[in-house]
Amino acid sequence: MNLRQAIKMAWKSIVGNKGRSILTMLGIIIGIASVMTIVTVINGMNKVSMQYYEAMGNNRVNVSASVWNGRDIFDELYSYCNGLGSDLVLGVTPNSQFSASVVYGSKSSTAMEKNQESFWNNYSGGDVDTSIALPPTLYLGSDQYAVCNNFQLERGRDLSYLDVKDYHQVCVLGARAAKNFFNYADPIGQEIMVNGLPFTVIGLYKEKDATSAWSMDNMIVFPYTMSRYLAPGTQITEFVVKASSSDATVEATSRLIGYLGGVIREGEGYSSVYSDNQWQQSSNEYATMMSLVLGGIAAISLLVGGIGIMNIMLVTVTERTREIGIRRAIGAPRRSIVVQFLIEAAMLCGIGGIIGILFGAGGSLVAGKLLLKMIIYPAAGITMGAFLLSVALGIIFGIYPAAKASRLQPVEALRAD
Amino acid sequence: MLIQLHNVSKIYSEGLESEVRALDDVSLEIDNGEFVAIVGQSGSGKSTMMNVLGCLDIPTHGNYVLSGTDVAELTDRELSKIRNRDIGFIFQQYNLIQNLNVAENVELPLIYQGIGTSRRREMAIEALTRVGLGDRIKHKPTQMSGGQQQRVAIARAIAAKPPIIMADEPTGALDSHTGHEVLKFLQQLNREGSTIILITHDNSIAATARRVVRLADGKITEDHPQEVDWL
Repeated sequence: MNLRQAIKMAWKSIVGNKGRSILTMLGIIIGIASVMTIVTVINGMNKVSMQYYEAMGNNRVNVSASVWNGRDIFDELYSYCNGLGSDLVLGVTPNSQFSASVVYGSKSSTAMEKNQESFWNNYSGGDVDTSIALPPTLYLGSDQYAVCNNFQLERGRDLSYLDVKDYHQVCVLGARAAKNFFNYADPIGQEIMVNGLPFTVIGLYKEKDATSAWSMDNMIVFPYTMSRYLAPGTQITEFVVKASSSDATVEATSRLIGYLGGVIREGEGYSSVYSDNQWQQSSNEYATMMSLVLGGIAAISLLVGGIGIMNIMLVTVTERTREIGIRRAIGAPRRSIVVQFLIEAAMLCGIGGIIGILFGAGGSLVAGKLLLKMIIYPAAGITMGAFLLSVALGIIFGIYPAAKASRLQPVEALRAD
Repeated sequence: MLIQLHNVSKIYSEGLESEVRALDDVSLEIDNGEFVAIVGQSGSGKSTMMNVLGCLDIPTHGNYVLSGTDVAELTDRELSKIRNRDIGFIFQQYNLIQNLNVAENVELPLIYQGIGTSRRREMAIEALTRVGLGDRIKHKPTQMSGGQQQRVAIARAIAAKPPIIMADEPTGALDSHTGHEVLKFLQQLNREGSTIILITHDNSIAATARRVVRLADGKITEDHPQEVDWL
């Protein structure tokens, strides 16, 4: 008997017992669907956080450094980093935030803060409307602010070395801040008032985080040297160094640790250096662990489904003892009885697997929409894996019933009712 | 010699108090082309005899030599092959597979021989035509009368053209008219050269065979040729 015959036979027997076949498959369907949904959603979550990191920029090294006597150490850091060469470090910038009132015409950050307040007072969960004008985050940066924070200039010009050195009263706007203050008017060349001081908008960064209410684009960056006017008395302690690659990140991190350890002696201040890559890595590891734990729980449901298959197959063998006897009498060797039942189990599980995959894909879509607000599909690898897993389950849990069927003595099997 | 039983015994629970000797030291030879009726009351061991002769069961003692081969030495695969190619079974209860249609039932032994689909269907239709059911190939066994089902079973037994046909009370579930038809068909098969072994408890049915072997309590009490009622 060849495989095609065996498959046909199995199909006939499955279709001939529709109700029971569906009940048998149910365990596998639920198991596969839940495994697929869980793994896909976790992958989607990981993708979301990766996208976040990507928007923020890869290979960033965050440096916190503070000297108790208030000495500005950025100059030293700037020349040290730029001395390392562009194959290691692409740029360095302070990354300090400060608060100040920003006014342009009738728009003011004070009003936007009110928006935020009333928003929180009325917030009752759900999506956040991205059209609400929230107050911008104000940064102090160097001429390398953009490269360090993964901003690209859309129009105008970026902060220059001279802007920084000569205390120019200029600023560059993120896309969301530009929209909030200028709507569709051209901000370039306009003056905004920051704490009462006029600052000329010289450039505009490209939008990179359009879908979030608290967008990374809702920012304004000023030459860090203006801190003496904009945020008097605050020391700049947060810096970002942009490394050229992930290998360079590791190298730059260790060099910076060494360098800062030398510049800031014990008792004079503190410094800490860490890279976002480490965060990304641990977030990746976390996602993998989540997949394993939740996937493992779902796998238990698959196991239960598999045992269900075994159960039903055993019942099937008992019910079909006479048929087995007839087949044996007519000349079916043991092997072909084994093959027949194995194929039947594998096919049941395979069909159950396919249905489970469809449900899993649907579940992923729904869960992705509800939890992550994005459309996620199961990856081809996961789909294929789920299918193979279900067939394998069929074979594994079909072995015992099939062996039992084949061990029936023809005479005794024929005697069964 | 086609079939040789040498001192064959089939003993259940041997050595225990409940020991049952279904066959007790039986020796029998059946030649090619014979039509033998094995007759006995229920419990005489005739069904055990058929199971042993049909390679469905293995004797406890003694040798069963089929076409020169001792079946005790054969593997499951080889025994299956013998059942598949050399023996056609006809059972009292027809033993058709209910969820297969008539043609598929008849094709079953051919499937296990590995014959291709179209050739198989051809052979099945040929066999069904011989039993007068060539036009019913798509019917399910449950849609047919007992006589028709038994004819399907006969078609299945002869589809692979085996040299030996074993019929275990083939008329037991049929009315006398259809039973008569079945026996007539067996006689015809015998005239065409098949070896027929007919198991029955009914002397009048045994009268259609050319040789009668009578069994009682697992032993052969009678073994002789006879004048045949040609039907």
